[in-house]
Amino acid sequence: MSYALIVAEVRRGLFEERNLDSIGICSLLEKDPIMLIPESDYSVNWEALSGVIKVKIEETQFLNPLNMVNILGKVIGKRGKPDVIIFTNSASGAELAAYTAGYFDLPIITDVSNYDKEQGVFYKSYYSDKIFGEFKPSGDGSFIITVRSGSFKEYVTENGTTPSIETIEDITASPVRTFMEYVEEEKTDVDITKADFLLSLGRGIGNKDEIPSYEELAGLLKAVISGSRPVIDKMWLPKARQVGTSGKTVKPKVYLAMGISGAFQHIAGMKDSDCIIAVNKDPEAPIFQYANYGIVADIHKVRDKLKDILKA
Amino acid sequence: MNLIVFTKRVPATQEEELRITGEGKAVDLSKVPFKVNDWDNYSVEEAVRIVEKSGGTATAVSIGDAESDEVLRRAIAMGAKDGLLLETGDVFHDPNVRATLIHNFLKKENLPFDAIFTGVQSEDDQFGAVGGILAAKLGLPFVSMVIGIDTVESDHLIVRRELEGGLQERVKVMLPCVISIQTGINEPRYVSIMGIRKASKVERKVYKAADYQDSMKSKIEIIKWVYPPKKAGAKILSGELESACKELLGILKEKGVYQ
Ligand SMILES: Cc1cc2nc3c(=O)[nH]c(=O)nc-3n(C[C@H](O)[C@H](O)[C@H](O)COP(=O)(O)OP(=O)(O)OC[C@H]3O[C@@H](n4cnc5c(N)ncnc54)[C@H](O)[C@@H]3O)c2cc1C
Ligand SMILES: Nc1ncnc2c1ncn2[C@@H]1O[C@H](COP(=O)(O)O)[C@@H](O)[C@H]1O
Repeated sequence: MSYALIVAEVRRGLFEERNLDSIGICSLLEKDPIMLIPESDYSVNWEALSGVIKVKIEETQFLNPLNMVNILGKVIGKRGKPDVIIFTNSASGAELAAYTAGYFDLPIITDVSNYDKEQGVFYKSYYSDKIFGEFKPSGDGSFIITVRSGSFKEYVTENGTTPSIETIEDITASPVRTFMEYVEEEKTDVDITKADFLLSLGRGIGNKDEIPSYEELAGLLKAVISGSRPVIDKMWLPKARQVGTSGKTVKPKVYLAMGISGAFQHIAGMKDSDCIIAVNKDPEAPIFQYANYGIVADIHKVRDKLKDILKA
Repeated sequence: MNLIVFTKRVPATQEEELRITGEGKAVDLSKVPFKVNDWDNYSVEEAVRIVEKSGGTATAVSIGDAESDEVLRRAIAMGAKDGLLLETGDVFHDPNVRATLIHNFLKKENLPFDAIFTGVQSEDDQFGAVGGILAAKLGLPFVSMVIGIDTVESDHLIVRRELEGGLQERVKVMLPCVISIQTGINEPRYVSIMGIRKASKVERKVYKAADYQDSMKSKIEIIKWVYPPKKAGAKILSGELESACKELLGILKEKGVYQ
């Protein structure tokens, strides 16, 4: 039977919102959405699904690629190969998808953010969103995609019927990779999610020595400093200041981004700000697509000029 | 511990204007500078640190044209013992093809290893898939988004993998295994031009990718390259820097975040 198999992403009892993008793309693909999910009390948009396959397994074992391939083997054995297997494009979705592709020898297209129904092509980001590739799986067998969060949720349709339910059990957990525990981020005094005005610094600042001068600007503007991942990776700013999927999600009144290109993992963490202002010397930087206002210039010059005006 | 670590030479496109040529056939990278893939820089550093602490060797491997020798020299300068180039003039977009090539190469050359390190993703293609596909092909356990290696034992590693929103999970993985390293796991050492020049004295081995191309048919087709779909976009504050900055301050006042 023709169907799309959606591997749900669930974490600590929560059904992640980005699963909606996996469901949404099924409408464009015109495939019946069947969701694979651990058997537990998740709050799911059941009416948007044709079927649900519940797996009797711990959530942390479900999210383990070495177990996922066994689960998928059982699903395929029971109901035949899906036309497409859909994962989220997150830390866990990406890990599961790649391993599954290798295990079942299937085509894979990751980070899909658009689909052209007429031509049957998937849009995949290249060069941090500066170019997109239009890809197609070769042949007409099963294939795998991971979908970018926020790209397809608008296509979710709830048809008002309850989905069919199947159960899968007796999955032997892999002994070669095992979950031990969750590790929480340390609590810190500054909470960037509470700030009204964030001055956010990206790799474009060049080096650590520039930080004090931006701190001075932030002081004059009464803004709180945050940053993109590379700035935190290089330890120019503490981890608690990171904006993005693996950092914090912020919604300030104003988000002033300086020297940030606008990779989707960053955008996902700040796109709901009331007003986004971007300063970047590259007029093609993807961040200008999301910003309300932009200045195309050297950020250091903008910093110095702002300081001059504010001090005058 | 014998580690194989992959390192890729990628175009540094962040500040470049990219042009599509031949009606979508290609992206012109001829004027773009190249560099080591950021994720691989962290991965090489992590491999070298483990070897420095507990012995063994780190061997760097790259797939690409002769220019990729540059990232191998860099890895040697950081502390890798060897650099192996799987030379090809082709760019394989399909991660299945690259993982198959690596798989064939490791099998045929019978390279011994306790663990294989890749980066989480290539900066250029952002597939984030070669490590996982390779692990499955080799029948080995896999962990991606590795942001910390807490324990190195002869038969297993205990690693932390990064999830969303600052959360991590601690995972035990048996050796041999494949892991994909996330940026920020360490602070990669500085490599000087002198260091790279010195590393040139270590011979790099070159293998022809064509000799390992069994069942390497691409599973995906690239139809064409396109520019991103244009959204409404930002209102650009243009003119003199002074007036643009004043306008910016005006917006801050209007939004009520600055008096
Ligand atoms: C699993 C995963 C999770 C991730 N999580 C996050 C996350 O939580 N947050 C995050 O931010 N990223 C995250 N990333 C990384 C993300 O993909 C990008 O690599 C990162 O956001 C890029 O940061 P950047 O914009 O500061 O740097 P770059 O992309 O290098 O951009 C620098 C920008 O500065 C501009 N610039 C340079 N010099 C100047 C100058 N003098 N004046 C003006 N402009 C200048 C350049 O034109 C460029 O646009 C994650 C990646 C992965 C794979
Ligand atoms: N051409 C290549 N040469 C060396 N390593 C590569 C190559 N392509 C991919 N890799 C490795 O696989 C990782 C993930 O790549 P990708 O799946 O393309 O995002 C990279 O960080 C590299 O470690």
